[in-house]
Amino acid sequence: MFVLRMSRPDDVDALVQLGHKAGPGLTTLKPDPDAQGARLQRVQRTIAGSAELPEQGYLFVLEDTASGKVVGVCGIEVAVGLDQAFWTYRMDTFVHASRELGLWTRMDKLHMSHGLTGYSELCTLFLDPDYRVNGNGSLLSKARFMFIGQFRDRFAERICAEMRGYFDENGESPFWKALGAHFYRIDFHEADRLVALGKKSFLAELMPRHPVYIDFLPQDARDCIGKVHKETEPARRLLEVEGLRLEQHVDIFEGGPVLEARIDDLRVMRDSGLCQVEIVAEAAADAPRQLVANGELADFRVILAAANVSDGVVHLTAEQARALQAKAGDRVRVMLQNPAK
Amino acid sequence: MLLVRPSKLSDLPQIERMARSDGPVLHSLPPDRERLQQRVNDSVHSLRADVDCPGEESYLFVLEDTASGQLHGTAGIMAVAGFSEPFYAFRNEVLVHASRELKVNHRVHALMTSHELTGRSRLTGFYYDEAALGRNMALPQLLSRARMMFIAQHRERFNNEIFSVLPGVTDDNGRSPFWDAVGFKFFRRDFAEMELASGGRSRTFIAEMMQVDPLYVPLIAEEAQRVMGEPHAGARINYRCHLAEGLEPDKFVDLFDAGPVLTAQLDVCRSVRYSRLHTARRGEVGGDTVPHLVSNTLTADFRCLLVDLPPLLGDEVVLPPEVADALEIVDGDAVRCVPLNSEGAR
Repeated sequence: MFVLRMSRPDDVDALVQLGHKAGPGLTTLKPDPDAQGARLQRVQRTIAGSAELPEQGYLFVLEDTASGKVVGVCGIEVAVGLDQAFWTYRMDTFVHASRELGLWTRMDKLHMSHGLTGYSELCTLFLDPDYRVNGNGSLLSKARFMFIGQFRDRFAERICAEMRGYFDENGESPFWKALGAHFYRIDFHEADRLVALGKKSFLAELMPRHPVYIDFLPQDARDCIGKVHKETEPARRLLEVEGLRLEQHVDIFEGGPVLEARIDDLRVMRDSGLCQVEIVAEAAADAPRQLVANGELADFRVILAAANVSDGVVHLTAEQARALQAKAGDRVRVMLQNPAK
Repeated sequence: MLLVRPSKLSDLPQIERMARSDGPVLHSLPPDRERLQQRVNDSVHSLRADVDCPGEESYLFVLEDTASGQLHGTAGIMAVAGFSEPFYAFRNEVLVHASRELKVNHRVHALMTSHELTGRSRLTGFYYDEAALGRNMALPQLLSRARMMFIAQHRERFNNEIFSVLPGVTDDNGRSPFWDAVGFKFFRRDFAEMELASGGRSRTFIAEMMQVDPLYVPLIAEEAQRVMGEPHAGARINYRCHLAEGLEPDKFVDLFDAGPVLTAQLDVCRSVRYSRLHTARRGEVGGDTVPHLVSNTLTADFRCLLVDLPPLLGDEVVLPPEVADALEIVDGDAVRCVPLNSEGAR
């Protein structure tokens, strides 16, 4: 079975291997031992309470309990934009109206924004393509909400998640072509490469500082605003189920959505609860699939289990309890994998 | 003989005929009797007023064929553009997008609504009857630059900075590609409809509805970018007259059709810089001659015409009697002269 657990300093090699599989698209998962080692140390400092707010962040890995192999990774940053600026376009509306002229025109604009500064951020999600089965993706993504539910006070008031934007069949971003390209004279892939090198902030400083009227962009570029890459659609739906949605912010390069929510409005804050563990020989056949998390910080663990809950008690098999490093009578956090219809 | 003089109320029927003729929309000569009458009245009052510094005054001059009494053109000046309300234009600004880190240094143009022209004197209301007078560039220059002779004589009435907005490019159906790509997005209707809706109020009224954020030029439709600063075909004559006078295209374009805005400091304008006062005497002009603009020094009875005079003039200038008559001067009066092609005067 698979367990999502808090990363440890010795996960460096596993992260580097995942980085190789992820390719250059995922800029925070570079196959660089130094970078990953530093990141893992940062997680440890965060857990220990010795990290300043700008550097606080958590990284979790998905482990195959049989082999001990790490097959996926996901993270949460506690407060973005406090070190390098966090740039987005904020969509806004201005109405040009005059009663005397019988005029009323709505003009939507994109404003350069640092409005998400200080938000917590869901980030760095990658699952080895060989393991994209049996709800592993769902566990990897949703386990983060269980952590937030368990350790609410460690996060900001609001949370966001950047989604990969739309690209056409040639791998080109119509949004970039219509907007960013005019301000750089380099193509998107070059820009993407620079982002991968950690130059996003420098790139952002070249973007138009004045608001951009959406109506001045060609239709295909307008259509990109708030739209995700085809392969990212399931991930987006997954986050939307948990309570995030596109509000006002999109990526400055591709126009992809930045989903956001008040943390207290997330499903996990409403639907998850603490239960006592009771060990059963076998899960009931009709048991619903639940996310179950232990209450540990440094050894936080989440599994996806078919388990019945009744009267504040959750029925887990011995194997499941072992994966959580929990024993009978321990209190664990439980939430239905998918909300009841 | 063709001469330029201030308009008077009895000119109204002819001015209206010109205002209604085909050709590019005139930026300030409305095809409307009442408003034209107002313009002429304003001019008459402005010329009579004692003026120490520029204010609300506006002036309208006409080009008259003295033999027939026919008028063949108009040209005006507003002493102060936007006297009671701001004067709007787009300023074409250069923004440098540079990053030392990325070794990028890239210039991007953006149009910003600007009030910068407010308070300057403005040349306006130019109409030249090309059908009647032909393409001889001397005649439209007489009409356009007579205004500058008036300004040279009455500097206290004007700002030291002047400008002129010329009609921008429109297609055969009168559609402006710039309006379609820019203004239309904000108003969702044709400019002509906008003007109707504004009920004859100033264009400032419309401009205020278009208080927009800077518009990045690369994001504006290409056909609109192409016409930025280009004069309408019918305005090319006036454009050339302005260039000959020393006005130059600047970083401004018209807010609505992106027509060119030409600007100059009065001190560098040819008619101001190279004109001189001479004592006039009737007589016969002999020897080599070149065309000159010659005006009297009056205000309400200002007159200006083209005269062939020797290239180098002394303190005294000899004028043919019929010219002196047309200028309404007597021997010993001062006249202002400048060679039409003043480059040679340098």
